[in-house]
Amino acid sequence: MKSAAFAYHAPAAVGEAAALLAAHGERARVLAGGQSLVPLMHRRIERPEHLVDLNRVAGLDRLEAGPEGLRIGATARQRQVESDPAVAARWPLLAEAIAEVAHPAIRNRGTVVGSLCNADPSAELPSAALALEGTIVAAGADGEREIPLADFFTGPGETALSRSELALELRLPAPPPRTGSAWLELARRGGDLPVAGVAAVVSLDADGRCERVRLVCANAAPVPLDCRFQAEALLGAAVDEEGAAAVGAAVAAAAGPVDDYQGSAVERRRVLAVLVRRALLLAAERAGGRS
Amino acid sequence: MQPLRSSEGSASTLVEAPGAAPLVGAPVARLDAARLLRGQGRYIADIERAGMLHACFVRSPHAHARLGAVDGAAALALEGVVAVFAAADLPHQPLLDSVRIEGLRKTPQPALASERVRFHGEPVAVVLASSRARAEDGAELVRVEYEPLAPVLDPEAAAAGAGPDLFEGGNLLYRGEIVAGDVEAAFAAADHVVSARYHGNRYAAVPMEARGCVAEHDPGSGELTLWCSTQGPHQLRRRLSQTIGLPESHVRVIAPDVGGAFGQKIPAHAEEVAIALAARAVGRPVRWIEDRLENLLAAPHAKEQLIETELALAADGTFLGLRARILGDAGAYSHNSTSALIEPYLSAGLMPGVYRIRDYRCEILAAVTNKSPVAPYRGVGWTAGHTARELLIEKAARQLGVDPAQLRRRNMVDSFPYESCTGMLYDSGSYVASLDRALAEIGYEELRREGGPPAAGQPAVGVGVSPYVEPTGWGSDGALQSRWSFASHDSVRIEIDPSGAVTAAVGTPSQGQGHETMLAQIVADGLGVELDRVRVVSGDTSGTPISTAGTRASRTAVVVGGALALAAEELRAKLERIAAYLLDAEPDQVRIEAGRFAVAGDSAREATLREVAEVAFYDPALRARLPDPSLSVSRFHDPPASYANGCVVALVAVDVETGAVTLRRLLSVEDCGTVVNPALVDGQVRGALAQGVGGALLEQVRYGADGTMLSGDLRRYKLPKATDLPAIELHHECSPSPFTVNGMKGVGESGAIAAPGAVAAAVADAVAHLGVEIESLPIDTDRIVAAAAAERS
Ligand SMILES: Cc1cc2nc3c(=O)[nH]c(=O)nc-3n(C[C@H](O)[C@H](O)[C@H](O)COP(=O)(O)OP(=O)(O)OC[C@H]3O[C@@H](n4cnc5c(N)ncnc54)[C@H](O)[C@@H]3O)c2cc1C
Repeated sequence: MKSAAFAYHAPAAVGEAAALLAAHGERARVLAGGQSLVPLMHRRIERPEHLVDLNRVAGLDRLEAGPEGLRIGATARQRQVESDPAVAARWPLLAEAIAEVAHPAIRNRGTVVGSLCNADPSAELPSAALALEGTIVAAGADGEREIPLADFFTGPGETALSRSELALELRLPAPPPRTGSAWLELARRGGDLPVAGVAAVVSLDADGRCERVRLVCANAAPVPLDCRFQAEALLGAAVDEEGAAAVGAAVAAAAGPVDDYQGSAVERRRVLAVLVRRALLLAAERAGGRS
Repeated sequence: MQPLRSSEGSASTLVEAPGAAPLVGAPVARLDAARLLRGQGRYIADIERAGMLHACFVRSPHAHARLGAVDGAAALALEGVVAVFAAADLPHQPLLDSVRIEGLRKTPQPALASERVRFHGEPVAVVLASSRARAEDGAELVRVEYEPLAPVLDPEAAAAGAGPDLFEGGNLLYRGEIVAGDVEAAFAAADHVVSARYHGNRYAAVPMEARGCVAEHDPGSGELTLWCSTQGPHQLRRRLSQTIGLPESHVRVIAPDVGGAFGQKIPAHAEEVAIALAARAVGRPVRWIEDRLENLLAAPHAKEQLIETELALAADGTFLGLRARILGDAGAYSHNSTSALIEPYLSAGLMPGVYRIRDYRCEILAAVTNKSPVAPYRGVGWTAGHTARELLIEKAARQLGVDPAQLRRRNMVDSFPYESCTGMLYDSGSYVASLDRALAEIGYEELRREGGPPAAGQPAVGVGVSPYVEPTGWGSDGALQSRWSFASHDSVRIEIDPSGAVTAAVGTPSQGQGHETMLAQIVADGLGVELDRVRVVSGDTSGTPISTAGTRASRTAVVVGGALALAAEELRAKLERIAAYLLDAEPDQVRIEAGRFAVAGDSAREATLREVAEVAFYDPALRARLPDPSLSVSRFHDPPASYANGCVVALVAVDVETGAVTLRRLLSVEDCGTVVNPALVDGQVRGALAQGVGGALLEQVRYGADGTMLSGDLRRYKLPKATDLPAIELHHECSPSPFTVNGMKGVGESGAIAAPGAVAAAVADAVAHLGVEIESLPIDTDRIVAAAAAERS
């Protein structure tokens, strides 16, 4: 469990980092918190020849909440985001999901953006950030571009970033009023990656009817599974047990989970149906309108 | 040092070593704590030798294959790689178990595989290089030819003779029987017969410090020194001597600080033999530090058994007879620690447990399969058997419609000594009292009243009771009562030097249990000296007396502690005679207390231990009174068997929609006789309970259909974390052993034996309304979810 030899680079500026990635392409990897990459390197599953460490790039650890939304820089730690009062008040889904990621020691190093770039379909943050309709700002040798998370995850461990690009930050829009959210998961142990997880965001109209809903499932498909289509059956009415259960059943049918060390596909479908129902009801209740 | 508060639920508080008050029984703060917590411990990875090389093993990627050529040329071409050795380069005798049980076939295990590999991860070659990273680079380049064979993975199939043979003579290594009383008559007379099956899971012990060693060969003296993370330095010395062909006088094994072991470090490991041979062959010291992946893959596994049980009961619930069939999955070799019988044989002997069962028959089988071999792990043999029996009793209670705790209680052994039908002499105990105490503490009556199927949307709640008896303090007699012919004795030495300092030398190293403190308490009390005057040294075959068995089987307090108490008594008498000479008094008038000698009735006449030691060494005139004034006493000890007991209770809540099991309470009543250090006992009980909970809910070594390991990292092999455990509640009963020095019994394994049964019984209780039986661990929660879903629709 010692990594293969590599060259280590610690650029001080984004441009320098982008230039290194442009020069080394496929042979380089970006290092953020290292909580996923370093174990893979020690097992020699990842064998980069060049490691581009972002931790010394000034300003990348920003965490800014403004009227338009939230900006989370590439080296902002999960722990920092989770403990931020503005996040807790306006994007509680994020804090709730991060609290289930590993343990504080790991969240002290691990970054939110790194978790998204790691694109593990079972991880909490990709699903939660997708449910919050996030966008990644990427930087390459030719400048910056924005990639909505809906287009970002392309497969297990794969993203729309090219090998010569780095993710600069995650942007989350401000949620509408009367919005409630919930992150629910089944994990074998506290801090484990979920067997299955669900992010639900429900916005109600003034009469308590469901006006907008976002639903994303973790570990239900090769990428975070966007179940907005199934969830939108709830639009225009109060979210109730029966409606939520019907969405749960529809999601379980639509999901394509696999057998893995955490459990079987059959079990995942069963659990997804339950978690979806509970998460939708809880989100609606938190939005202030459970009937 | 600040006195520390001990944990909730326990009566003990840590104290500073008191002066004259007896130390045995006091929760004295650990003597090694400051050293270990400050990072001043010295583990294998802390040992550096001049010119030392680093080793990495090339391991088989196949479960079963014929082994062809091993080519290290490409590796040797790398800068920093010094040597690549395969089996043919390091001639030696294979490892063999030394168990003498008739009908048990032996399976020689080479240090490096030759001709055949028998499990995924078996070492095939070793690469020596300037650093571990470079050795790993080299290992990647070693080319090995394999011709894969079909793997044998199912122990039933192996026992039945299906699949290719791992060894000549077939895969079934042993078939035997225990017969007591007339079991056929008992079953014929029964009003109820209840039967059950149980598949006890394959565990990994996962010590925090994985295996490792440093070997150095001195060509001048011919001595081989092995620093090794081991539980039994003398046993390892013997194995090395046998395999390498050096007399034991020329093999020195040193166990420095050992970071956990739990039984995994009892055997001599193939890798350790290979490293010793490699160091001699290359002429430089070699260090091997096993990493976590290797440890999960290739270090011995534990506990897997397939058990069928059948209980005969009278109409009133009296147990009439018990039948069992136990098949142990030994993995690829009958391991040198204690053979393929380590699990099924021990399981069979303790199957009657705390219950009055006179008519018993058990068939015992052991088979080899293409998995990492099975070796001891905390609660060896007993975890699976205990769990199978307790689940059987749960099932019987449900079938008879009686309370499971009361059913147990009515059948419990309640007078002592009691000889079990398998030949174990239960010396003393609080079987009924521990159960009653546990029930009272958990509030059993009330929980029972609230029982029944859960309201919609509520978790299903269940309580599980698991009373146990645990053979402890293994001397040769204890081993024999477990039907194991096994030399299990210790010698110890206590010496006082001219400065008056006391050194106690023992052959059993500590792996973090706190032995140093516990043994020092016994010595200090026995001699009448202060605790801080006593130094305990252990684990170096060149400086410590022999422990044939090493640290295992909850034996150190009873056997080594007992030996020290006896040695101290002898040395104290001698000291008092010398003091009498010095103080011009009669020996029976002189008493030592807290390191000072006083003459009865004359407070003016006093001497310190230092003054007395000074006289012993440097006053020739003394020899007229005492021809041998040397202050060194050695003592051999091999005590009779002793049995600890207690009861574990678990309270669980099961979310039947998702299968999530929450352990709400975990409570243990422990009775290990006279307690030397309550704080250390609590630590032992707690740790074993945590491991037991892991086995009940999470831990499982898994192999794929092709025999490759699927649980080879800590994400997949799931140990319980602190966040998965409730605050553990500890209570104590005390039934001193009538047979051991001070009435001590062993402690340390009970939780690993009894907690899986408690948690499994609690879950079985919670989901009884769904008709789900627990037939294997860890609990398959999806079966519960499926049953609940089926019930709803
Ligand atoms: C014991 C343990 C338990 C864990 N449990 C969980 C869990 O329960 N749930 C969970 O979600 N995660 C878990 N993790 C993973 C953890 O959350 C990681 O921190 C996270 O997945 C990756 O973030 P990081 O900052 O550490 O990224 P790194 O490990 O540094 O990088 C991960 C990958 O993303 C790439 N990358 C990182 N940042 C960028 C960037 N800005 N631009 C382009 N590419 C980038 C890297 O090149 C690499 O391929 C666990 C980790 C450990 C060690």
